[in-house]
Amino acid sequence: MKLFEYQGKELFKKHGIRVPVGTLLDNVRDIDLNFPVVLKSQVLSGDRKKKGGIKIVERKEDFLEKLEELFRKEIDGELPKTILVEEKVNFEKEWYLSFSYDTDLKAPVIAVSEYGGAGVQTADVIPLEFKLDSWSLPKLRVSPPLQEVARSLLELFQKENALLAEINPLFELRDGSFIAGDAKVILDDNVADPSFRPFLDLPGDIAILASGGGASLINLDALMRYGGKPANYVEYSGNPPASVVEELTINALSKPGLKGCWTVGGTANFTDIYETMLGFVQGLRKTSPKPLYPIVVRRDGPRQKEAFDMLKQVAKEEGYDFHLYGPETPMAESAKIITTLAYGA
Amino acid sequence: MSILIGGNTNVLIQGITGKEGSRACKEMLAYGTKVLAGVTPGKGGMKTEEGVPVFNSVKEAVVQFPHINTALVVVPAQFVLNAAKESIEAKIPLINILTEKVSVADVAVIIALARAAEVRIVGPSSVGIMSPGKVKIGSIGSGGIASRIFTPGQVGVISKSGGMTAEVSRILTDAGIGQSTVVGIGGDILIASDFVDIALLFERDGQTSAVVIFGEVGGTYEEKLAEAIEQKKITKPVIALIAGKFAETLPQDTILGHAGAIVSKGRGSASSKIEALQKAGALIAQTPEDIPGLVKQVV
Repeated sequence: MKLFEYQGKELFKKHGIRVPVGTLLDNVRDIDLNFPVVLKSQVLSGDRKKKGGIKIVERKEDFLEKLEELFRKEIDGELPKTILVEEKVNFEKEWYLSFSYDTDLKAPVIAVSEYGGAGVQTADVIPLEFKLDSWSLPKLRVSPPLQEVARSLLELFQKENALLAEINPLFELRDGSFIAGDAKVILDDNVADPSFRPFLDLPGDIAILASGGGASLINLDALMRYGGKPANYVEYSGNPPASVVEELTINALSKPGLKGCWTVGGTANFTDIYETMLGFVQGLRKTSPKPLYPIVVRRDGPRQKEAFDMLKQVAKEEGYDFHLYGPETPMAESAKIITTLAYGA
Repeated sequence: MSILIGGNTNVLIQGITGKEGSRACKEMLAYGTKVLAGVTPGKGGMKTEEGVPVFNSVKEAVVQFPHINTALVVVPAQFVLNAAKESIEAKIPLINILTEKVSVADVAVIIALARAAEVRIVGPSSVGIMSPGKVKIGSIGSGGIASRIFTPGQVGVISKSGGMTAEVSRILTDAGIGQSTVVGIGGDILIASDFVDIALLFERDGQTSAVVIFGEVGGTYEEKLAEAIEQKKITKPVIALIAGKFAETLPQDTILGHAGAIVSKGRGSASSKIEALQKAGALIAQTPEDIPGLVKQVV
């Protein structure tokens, strides 16, 4: 779970890391801060500066106009709900500091660079030291105030179960003290939100209910190769109850202008196909207008035969345009079939 | 020979009385796996339906059954760290963690402890390990589908995805190609055994003559395999199916199916993995159905 900058900075304050004096605004109004100020659009997209999401306002008279402008500016399709206004910091130097997990070392690492802004590419990446059963800071050749910031950021990283805790830039002031210019914090969904299932809106018109973390990716790749345009990405793995599949189905099919629906998965090890297809049918029934476009189902695994018997019955009684395929039809082949059915041969 | 598991595998199941644990126990016994004991704190002294004795701790179990050499961890996510610590301390040489959604912080500690104790961990979020016709541990090939989709043979399979272990094996089996061992390594951000760790075992295994991997966007484990092939640490042919090319237009840091499937630019992207593996000499499958043809080219 990626946090907005202002949420990250709240965590910084909680763990003793200084941030600029500022106010979070959810509408256009006056503020009581010393100018110049920096307006920062609160969107999750990276590279906000390049994309025009950060503006410096030198004079109070320009403030409201610039603020309104920024509230109306979409960044990567995302309109900010809030804008963080901060007093501009006079700094001597910009640093980069972060904690994250490194998949090469399979351990937590600290990254430090005296060239902030450039990001992690120029940083020294050093694994944390493992003693007994916890991690501690390695020796860093930096000033004591910077060591203190690193200790606080490590505390945040561990206590908040973060996957990434990054300050970039980290301002060094003339007196040698530090202020966090930005905050990028990603929390571990396994702790913060264990029921998290990714659901992404995509610009296409074929709704997808994919099963399996890996199979779902391979199947979207296949669909796009055959010219199919996915309307969403969603994945249900493990052995979910019918109610979960029902809700995902309703979600995926709620998008207007769909031309087809593709329910696809590989050979399941232990997913109850009957149970999940029951959820799919319940979701179809609750979707309005009634989906009359082609629906391709490709599934295999425990109770697949019973599931398909049930689907055939439902199609006969309720008039859905089901096209059912088992393991004899490759997943990629079913991608071709849904594309042809959805767009016409 | 198979890798990791075989005729001498004697299993302890941690979390044996839970829903997933009792199902895995039943399935494994039905496949012929020797499950000697189980652990559920507070339930020591009882027996499972199938007559497997339950202990309060790993320590007690290994005193009674010193031949235990494999632990299967199926306890709830928040208890995995302690369960793994118990079996690491007991120096059980192979620990397979099935539990999903273990915090990355806990996984990092488990990996560090296992390194120090020199025991091997596969997982977390592993679907299990299958040596067709001989023995299996975990949920892999459940519900009676094992005999249909897995057959003994000479191809080693390593997959980040549990579902794709079955899909790839079924496609191989249908094409008349058997498997030496099929290993679900899990799709988390940190995995204790990665492609290189398992491929090195296949490299030394007499039964295995080629390795098929299923990888996906996120992390650097596929790139590390490419490096190992380039350095000639892996010389057996590698056939790779890498998923997640479609994600390249999505915003960075977006999480897809598995926790480790994080949209990345450059190193970590599906294209980077495919390029690195291709350059190292691996054969790249575009779809699962391409795999048998590529295997037949090299075996």
